[in-house]
Amino acid sequence: MNRLVKQHQKVSIDLMPTEPTTSRSTRSRLCNAAIGLGAATVLASCASDAPQDTWAPEGKYAQDIHNLQWPIFMIAGIVGLIVFGVITFVVVKFRDRGQPIPEQGHGNALIEYVFIAIPALLLAGIAVPTVAGVISLNDTDDADCVVNVTGQQWWWEYDYPVEADGTICGAQPTGEAAPIITSGQMVIPVDAKVVIRGTSRDVIHSFWVPKLNGKRDMVPGRVHTWNFQAEQPGIYAGQCAEFCGLSHANMRMEIVALDKGDFQAWIDNQLEPYQSPEAGTLAAKGEETFISQCSRCHQVDGLTDADGELVVSAPEQFVWSGAAPNLTNLMTRNTFAGASWDLLTEDAREAVWEASADEFGALYLEGVTKGTLNEIDLKEWLRDAPSKKPMYTDPENLEDTDGKTRGMPYLALSEDQIDELVAYLIERK
Amino acid sequence: MFTTGSKLLIGSAAAAWIFAAIYGIAQDGALGTLGLVSAAVALSVLAGLNLFVRDSNVSAMDHAGFEAAAAAQATARPSLWPFLVAFGATTLTFGLVTNRTFFALGLIAIVAGALEWLVQGWSERASGEQRYNTDARNVMVDPLELPVAGAIGAAVVVYSFSRVMLGLPTSTATVAAFSVLAVLVLAVAALVSAQRGLSRMTMTGVFSIVVLALIAGGTVAGLKGEREIHEHHTTGDLAEENECGPAETEADENASQTVASKSNVAVVITYEEGELHADVPGFDGEFQALTLVRSNPSNVLFRNESEDHARLVIDLHPATDDNGQPLGPERACTALVEAGGTQLLTVEIDRPSFAVEQGFAFTVAGSTAELQVVVP
Repeated sequence: MNRLVKQHQKVSIDLMPTEPTTSRSTRSRLCNAAIGLGAATVLASCASDAPQDTWAPEGKYAQDIHNLQWPIFMIAGIVGLIVFGVITFVVVKFRDRGQPIPEQGHGNALIEYVFIAIPALLLAGIAVPTVAGVISLNDTDDADCVVNVTGQQWWWEYDYPVEADGTICGAQPTGEAAPIITSGQMVIPVDAKVVIRGTSRDVIHSFWVPKLNGKRDMVPGRVHTWNFQAEQPGIYAGQCAEFCGLSHANMRMEIVALDKGDFQAWIDNQLEPYQSPEAGTLAAKGEETFISQCSRCHQVDGLTDADGELVVSAPEQFVWSGAAPNLTNLMTRNTFAGASWDLLTEDAREAVWEASADEFGALYLEGVTKGTLNEIDLKEWLRDAPSKKPMYTDPENLEDTDGKTRGMPYLALSEDQIDELVAYLIERK
Repeated sequence: MFTTGSKLLIGSAAAAWIFAAIYGIAQDGALGTLGLVSAAVALSVLAGLNLFVRDSNVSAMDHAGFEAAAAAQATARPSLWPFLVAFGATTLTFGLVTNRTFFALGLIAIVAGALEWLVQGWSERASGEQRYNTDARNVMVDPLELPVAGAIGAAVVVYSFSRVMLGLPTSTATVAAFSVLAVLVLAVAALVSAQRGLSRMTMTGVFSIVVLALIAGGTVAGLKGEREIHEHHTTGDLAEENECGPAETEADENASQTVASKSNVAVVITYEEGELHADVPGFDGEFQALTLVRSNPSNVLFRNESEDHARLVIDLHPATDDNGQPLGPERACTALVEAGGTQLLTVEIDRPSFAVEQGFAFTVAGSTAELQVVVP
């Protein structure tokens, strides 16, 4: 034993002087970097403008998840602290000072039973509310509203079916009821249990609005349901949570919650018949441009051509997913291009997002006006969409998709055509 | 004495000169000829240099060193690998003017032959002892050679067996595979286990005969071609041929009545008492009309709760091209579903309801049942 101890001491002594100083400075730099990264991570949690904060629930289902995750996080945190504390104590207390190696022992039934029983009990305690929570989150009974949600590269489509009693999402339209189709922002009534029936047209996406619920995958060929219920009027931001290709980061969504009266007004507005622009105006020219350039993929319900024939889009012939956003009431939404850009100017957007619960509905229902339109981004999009949002639209690389694009291609529109289109689109509300 | 390396360089230089001459005369291409002549000159220089320095070994004047030099060791044994390389070169050339499969096979043969030849040449210069050299070669090559040879052997056996099975009539093939062949395998295995003293040569001989017989059978069957395979009608064929009526067709005879009943579906449609009802999973209420998402395949489960056979049908009213030809299938239908049976139907509608005058609806062939469908 003495020989072993001596050898051990010799090795320790030999090593110390040979440790290079550069290694120490590298270690110091790494340590500083780790501290900086850790501090930045901790400070990031103090951000006040965090619309996708998972720790700030504003709906029943998000609150249910929060009620579950908070105690579990606490338990896990306490266990983690105890484990790290004991490890640190042992490492420091029994560090190598050249002392003889103590007698080694193996097996202690009591300690082993205790160390198995404690985690088992903890896991069992966590499992009971977790399983109950999962079942509760998936319960779609007694829904007040159903919305079909379809994901595709890289935007979300929402369609509102008409229920047997003629209501749409719990609201009785003033006029004739018909399915409503929209994109970017899903509008729902406050305090209503909204069930989405989601699927995908191309690859797997995931619908995630953190302040209202957890995430749910949208899978081609399958229909997955998920629940939402907002407590207050407002806009709730979300993000596709399953990597889905080039512009996954630009596939966002917003749920807009309106009180019942405002929601009724929104439904009625969506069902308003199409109004052609006044003859001889820039918008009327824009209508012609829209028909010649955009209507191949984008549908505007009620739009007719010069012969009075209904214009029917055929995105399935040009777009890989088979769909493009319906633009019938574009300017009632605040966003475009997969909710990645705002249709409102920065000030107007801020006013809507920060409006009080009482004022929010009226402000949102104003939609986008000439004075609040974010012309810069909209025109940039019309000028060259692929340069604004990465998409698979290069004709030379579309062999695998039989020439179909994934996303909006470059249309080579002139500045005049862009002005005409903007004048036309601003009236779509 | 020429070493292997010298032989390789001399052969390559000679080949380059021949190819340069042939190319220059036959193709009349200045650039190509120049390239080949350059290669031939370079190879000739290298070959001459190699000969001059005796493979970088020792001076011919240094008798002791000369005697011990690798070039002075035992001559390389005869080898079949150059034959494989030559065969590969011929196949590769043949493939250049016929099809790329021969080209690929030739390339593989050249690479495999050249590698084996190089390793053999290297190992035979490892020492003056042939056994040691053989061991050295095996250590290098066996980890690669044995798995590849095994895989090729297994592939040949499986492919030959598959040709035999595809050549025989269905019933004969089944009997051959699952009774006669199985009995033969069992009998041989029993014989082998009973005769413990069987020599290695006998075993090798028996298995070689079996494998050769199988390859011969596979070759004959392959040349003869596959048996005529009857193509079954599907519900897709029915829809295409507008046979979605109430009468039973060939496609209905073996149609599954239950396989899809646990699928994840957009809607469950039930036919009962002469009416169609839609049940939308995830919603316990009812809709005015069934809504299906546009341009997206929707899985529909059809349950026939009536007392008769029933077939679910939907006209898809696809868009047409400039000549009035439909750009997609015109209808979709299930097979004839027996009473109590279920079937899955995948439907994709590419046009919105407002664009189709008569709208969309699921119907049951031979009845008045109808379920309106809305496509936003």
